Amino acid sequence: MKPPFPIEIDGKVIQVTEGQTVLEVCQANGIDIPVMCHFEGLPDVGACRLCLVELKGVPKLLPACTLRVAPNQVINTQTEKIKKYRKMIVEALFCERDHVCAICVANGNCELQDLAKKVGVDHMRFPDILQPLELDASHPYFVIDHNRCIMCTRCVRVCAEVEGAHNFDIKNRSYKVRIISDFNQPWGESKTCTSCGKCVAVCPVGALWSKSSYQGKIEKKKEAICDLIRKRKVNV
Amino acid sequence: MSREDLKQMAQRIQDDKKKYAYTIFACNASGCIPSGSEAVFEALKNCVKDRKLEDQVRVVSCGCMGICAQGPIVRVDPDQSIYQKVTVENAHRIIDEHIIGKTPVKDMLLFSHEKEPLINSFEETFFKKQKRVVLRNCGRIDPQSIDDYIAEGGYQALEKVLKRMGPEEVIAEVKHSRLRGRGGAGYPTGLKWEVVYKYVSDKKFVVCNADEGDPGAFMDRSVIEGDPHRVLEGMIIAAYAVGAQKGYVYIRGEYATAIKPLETAIKQAKKNGFLGETIMGTTFKFDIEIRIGAGAFVCGEQTALIASIEGRRGTPRPRPPYPAEKGLWGYPTLINNVETFANISAIIVHGGEWFCETGTTKSTGTKVFSLAGKVKNTGLIEVPMGISLREIVYDIGGGILDDREFKAAQTGGPSGGCISKEYLDRPVDYESLVELGSIMGSGGLIVMDDTSDMVDVARFFMEFCMDESCGKCVPCRVGTKQMFDLLNKIYIGRGTMADLKVLEELAIFVKEASLCGLGMSAPNPLLSSLRFFKEDFLQHIQRNEKVVKPLI
Amino acid sequence: MKKKTIGTVWLAGCSGCHMSLLDIDERMLEVLKLADIVKSPIVDGKEFPEVDIALVEGAVGSEEHLDEILHIRAKAKIVVSFGDCAVSGNVSSMRNYLKTQEVLARSYEEAESNDSKQIPNAAEILSLSHRVHPLHEVVDIDYYIPGCPPSADTIFYVLNELLNDRVPDLAVIGGPKHG
Repeated sequence: MKPPFPIEIDGKVIQVTEGQTVLEVCQANGIDIPVMCHFEGLPDVGACRLCLVELKGVPKLLPACTLRVAPNQVINTQTEKIKKYRKMIVEALFCERDHVCAICVANGNCELQDLAKKVGVDHMRFPDILQPLELDASHPYFVIDHNRCIMCTRCVRVCAEVEGAHNFDIKNRSYKVRIISDFNQPWGESKTCTSCGKCVAVCPVGALWSKSSYQGKIEKKKEAICDLIRKRKVNV
Repeated sequence: MSREDLKQMAQRIQDDKKKYAYTIFACNASGCIPSGSEAVFEALKNCVKDRKLEDQVRVVSCGCMGICAQGPIVRVDPDQSIYQKVTVENAHRIIDEHIIGKTPVKDMLLFSHEKEPLINSFEETFFKKQKRVVLRNCGRIDPQSIDDYIAEGGYQALEKVLKRMGPEEVIAEVKHSRLRGRGGAGYPTGLKWEVVYKYVSDKKFVVCNADEGDPGAFMDRSVIEGDPHRVLEGMIIAAYAVGAQKGYVYIRGEYATAIKPLETAIKQAKKNGFLGETIMGTTFKFDIEIRIGAGAFVCGEQTALIASIEGRRGTPRPRPPYPAEKGLWGYPTLINNVETFANISAIIVHGGEWFCETGTTKSTGTKVFSLAGKVKNTGLIEVPMGISLREIVYDIGGGILDDREFKAAQTGGPSGGCISKEYLDRPVDYESLVELGSIMGSGGLIVMDDTSDMVDVARFFMEFCMDESCGKCVPCRVGTKQMFDLLNKIYIGRGTMADLKVLEELAIFVKEASLCGLGMSAPNPLLSSLRFFKEDFLQHIQRNEKVVKPLI
Repeated sequence: MKKKTIGTVWLAGCSGCHMSLLDIDERMLEVLKLADIVKSPIVDGKEFPEVDIALVEGAVGSEEHLDEILHIRAKAKIVVSFGDCAVSGNVSSMRNYLKTQEVLARSYEEAESNDSKQIPNAAEILSLSHRVHPLHEVVDIDYYIPGCPPSADTIFYVLNELLNDRVPDLAVIGGPKHG
């Protein structure tokens, strides 16, 4: 065990050990940082930018999920600028695709909806991009609705890193990015999908759901996946 | 191979060449190919054959000479006469009149802007203010021939390094030169090398970033097309300095005309013992492979480039850890731009002190720019750092087309900004450009005249960034799209002052919250346009005042 | 304190938010102590009068809605964007992905419940705009109450704050909940 050393977060001195991420430290110490692409046990990608923090002496904002602790760090997680950007990220996500909570399977059980609540987004200042996307219901048990996908890529990572199937990947660039199954084939025709349902369990929104769910009645088993990863000690 | 061997080899090649009374260099670089240079080259060769002059005249297909606007360009040495706009039909006149008749073809010689054809064309203003270090051989040697490179002193720097310098000395020399990364950000090259050198690892890599993607930029491809061995030599020296065994050149698939000479150069370097297991008879081994990109602009970003070489989707990842610590497959990796590597051999041969003599204190050496847009002399130029924009635009560029008014110069491509005419006399170096809200960038320089609408310019670059955003992080993915939509709305005359406010807010948000350099710099063209040309935006918005119901 | 006036209206919405407003139940009496509801879909009156607070449900989906919201903005001191349709377009704006004609054809010509199989075209019937906008894209909005519908507690909280000249902050009651 490496010796602990102190760092300062939001004015509090906290003992940390080498190898920890700032996000882990914050979560363990009751410092609330919103996350979206982060999922406990999956490799972090630093993509959603919700967990950005200010590190003293560094001009750019850094994502807490991939920032490793180091001696003498002074970190601020709740500055006005950060709060404003968190809000803008949520607004950006809402306007990117078709997020109509009222008719969504995940209504009431959605991390995006919760985030809006948490960071205080009462309306979206940007207009909807309005890109009509497909809904793929070819899989016998599950549905992927790209209209609700926020490209957190949790499903891609859980499929590749935990299930080991790597059914999902990403195609295209810019706002046209999409999750694809195999080589952009209908999910139901996938040769790699094991129908394990891990992707559905980790999806933060209503983009992936099982066919047995309906409006507002989705069930996500996130804790089960976290537990599974812990038990398997998946080295990621 | 010793220093003497190399020098003798160079002498022998030079002597061999002396048997030719004339050498005709026909530019076959990317600037001249579209105007038919390949056919001109064939015509010149056939004509020489026809006139049975093969023993006296050498016809060489060479790299860019710089004056792309006047292509295809043909130069006759030793007279140093440059012919412009040579066609298949009039190519024979160069042979018949200049070489056989000994009188330059006056009406085909490159024009000066005083409307007088110049006999000694190298006196022309276009070249006077330039200083060629990186482009020294460009257009003066056959890029497909290692002999030509060696004859010009090539690989002597490598010999010096391998035989007489330790890695630390090499790094010290590069640090002494104060060379900064020519890819755009301007990070001190020597420091970067030192960092990679200091990491202890059984494997290290050197990567040459030739994924030049800025619209209007063609510096890196021109260097590779015209003088590929110079880049290789820089890479090999870097590998020796940092302790790497393997190198990659990451080059865009679109650059077919650069990939071919590069492949040839690597083969030749291997054959001649400059690459491979026992380089120049020492125990140092290093090998270079080419990796061809699929045309994603974002793959010029270091971490995305690494992902792409590894065979994964080319998307950036957060830094730290930096590639110098964890790069290709997790090993320490040195990534430098083509032009950075191309500077190395000159620094080693002449010393860091010599390099500092050119340029300013903080930005030493020269910079290659591809001068494009509304100037008379578009083309490839290399100027000392610190030169003013005015000199570039008016002296080298020959002024604005149709003698219109200068409006803005765009540097740094989609990551840079637009500089207005009040700042024409500012020196072109890393710091001044950043101060003006732009960046040096890889060296694209687009000149705009008073007919340019800066809203449209900002919209163009925003569309580029939007299309090229990898789509990984939210601010860049959604922000660039929203900004493009807003700019479009303003451009078509439906924007409001509120839109302008949101636009500015979004620009700063995307700049500060994005994951990689693409997103962080994507708002630059917009922000600098807003700073210097707000009038243009307001004009578009005022047009909207008359529209009562803008929405339905 | 002078009694305030409240006006409510629904544009492109389903009236659900108004139902939720009625769900504040006996607390309506507290509201009425401080204000008169001078205009609402169940209070007669042709034109939206000058009010202190206007609760506007629904999005802007037609020329008439546009005229109405511009009128309300001019008449009301405070305009509250009331419910998800007003705040974000919500269900009303789902037709933005379709052409207006497609929407009308599906609703009338193809609809099983419509015997005449005709798209009504009387001049008095509102004509759909080609795109549905949330309110803030058309006029300035002072406060937002998202929710489909917003809960009665949320509505009462906001009304109560406004009527007592305080600034409502949804964070106090757990944050703005969409859907």
